[in-house]
Amino acid sequence: MTADDLGILWLTVRVAALATVLILPFGVACGWLLARWRGPGRILVETVLSLPLVLPPTAVGLLLLEALRRNGPVGRILDRAGVEVLFTARAVVLACAVMSLPFLVRFARTAFEEVDPRLLVMARTLGDSPAAAFRRVALPLAWRGILAGTLLAFSRALGEFGATILVAGNIPGRTQTLALAIFQRTHIGQDAGAMRLVGLTVALAFAAVLATEALTRRRARRVET
Amino acid sequence: MISLDVALTLPRFELRVETDLAGGGVAVLGPSGSGKTSLLETIAGLRPRARGRVVVDGAVLMDDASGVRLPPEARRIGYVPQDALLFPHRSVGENVRFGLRSGARSGLFDELVEILEIAPLIRRSPAAISGGERQRVALARALATEPRLLLLDEPLAALDVELKGRILPYLLRVRDALRVPFLYVTHNAGEAAVIAEEALLLREGSVVRQGPTEAVLAAMTGERVDPAARYENVLAGALEPRAAGMETATFHAGGARLIVPATPTEAAPGRTVFTVAPEEILVSERPPERVSARNRLFGRVMSVRETPDGTWLRVHAEGIAWTVRLTHAAEEELALAPGAGVWLTIKAHAFHRLA
Repeated sequence: MTADDLGILWLTVRVAALATVLILPFGVACGWLLARWRGPGRILVETVLSLPLVLPPTAVGLLLLEALRRNGPVGRILDRAGVEVLFTARAVVLACAVMSLPFLVRFARTAFEEVDPRLLVMARTLGDSPAAAFRRVALPLAWRGILAGTLLAFSRALGEFGATILVAGNIPGRTQTLALAIFQRTHIGQDAGAMRLVGLTVALAFAAVLATEALTRRRARRVET
Repeated sequence: MISLDVALTLPRFELRVETDLAGGGVAVLGPSGSGKTSLLETIAGLRPRARGRVVVDGAVLMDDASGVRLPPEARRIGYVPQDALLFPHRSVGENVRFGLRSGARSGLFDELVEILEIAPLIRRSPAAISGGERQRVALARALATEPRLLLLDEPLAALDVELKGRILPYLLRVRDALRVPFLYVTHNAGEAAVIAEEALLLREGSVVRQGPTEAVLAAMTGERVDPAARYENVLAGALEPRAAGMETATFHAGGARLIVPATPTEAAPGRTVFTVAPEEILVSERPPERVSARNRLFGRVMSVRETPDGTWLRVHAEGIAWTVRLTHAAEEELALAPGAGVWLTIKAHAFHRLA
């Protein structure tokens, strides 16, 4: 394993972790609202939030690219604030965040739906404000599902390719993650180097998915008893 | 003093309750779907669409006229639902502490643990304790908020008779020791009689009868307001200490001294509770002579009601109002009318110990 390999691994883990941390509050909030809110627009919001699951990642990448262009709707604001996003590590984080958000939202929603709403009502009669009831009852009862969703989102972020390459390019040392590096190395004939990176991704993904599985399994068993 | 003037539109009818209740224990009776639970939820602040006015002990919890509507957490109303609804992620002790607020009276937790006898359960998970124990914990948790009013929504209905017996004395204890006023929803006339002085009978969202529990129950037996209601006689009292090896024991309830079967478990907290089915009581005009039954009481008929499934008598004897069910033929032969003196004969083994 070369210093180069380790650098790529470190960048990948860092951007994936940052993306996961960034979507955590938003994803949990979305999961909570979708689990509790019975309004008419619910199904629409749910569909929009799930789109990144089914769209080709390059399509999502192109949409992000359009939005972030210097004269695009979001890019204009960022430009005025002096924040550069496109073709930087920030763009990788953004692409990873958008692509992995649906996983977190889905898991969080399911976890919150499993919480008996009457327990929240009980908390209210025992003196809890809605926020306190969420913190003291809903979150502790749903944390396992939320953690599983977070791990899955992180795993998805580790392997993000299509959206990343469009908004962040494939710049070694700046935006080149494991997935992008594997692609580049196979292209230029460095098959052994590509295989080493594949080994690293397999190990990372294995650990993350295994942890997710372990968490969801234990939850299922708890429901049975 | 609880003053209610509330309205709530429900799918099948309009809940409309306007009444003043003295405090103490109030039984809320009525058939399934008559609005009993909706009434409790309105008082607790869990029905955003409810309208009107709720005042408990001078505290205005809701008043549309002056725009007051306290959220549930500010009402200090304890709620104990049928299935206890303990928090599964917290131990029994943590469940009870959930309701404790920073300003709570010191020693309250220990007092509740003692009254409800949950000390051995404190560290257990709610999933690992029995239904009756769960109810006791739910009661302790609600009381930890030092509520102005306790709402009990059929807290015993989910328990079988034996378990029920184990919680009834605790409820009586809470009533007597903590003096928290409560509304108690039940289908069981016997429970209502033993626990509440006042009763409210709901039908399709309206109060059709209100008054002393005794009077409301007497009316109910005849009107068949609640087909699911059960009318067994529930008696709370004290057992006399007895010599070992006796097959019967002496039980004091109301002004009566009753002979009941001895049970192996003597150590009951506070009061003992026995039930007798209305069918198990014999009625005669003259004192029965040389019969095997151990209990003979003289009393007066308070009311006689004919229903398709028999004639229901309410008889006042030795400080207890008894519900008795006779066949129509038997009733015709006896020709009973309110005010008539009758003898009630009850076998010792007709008494079933609840607690």
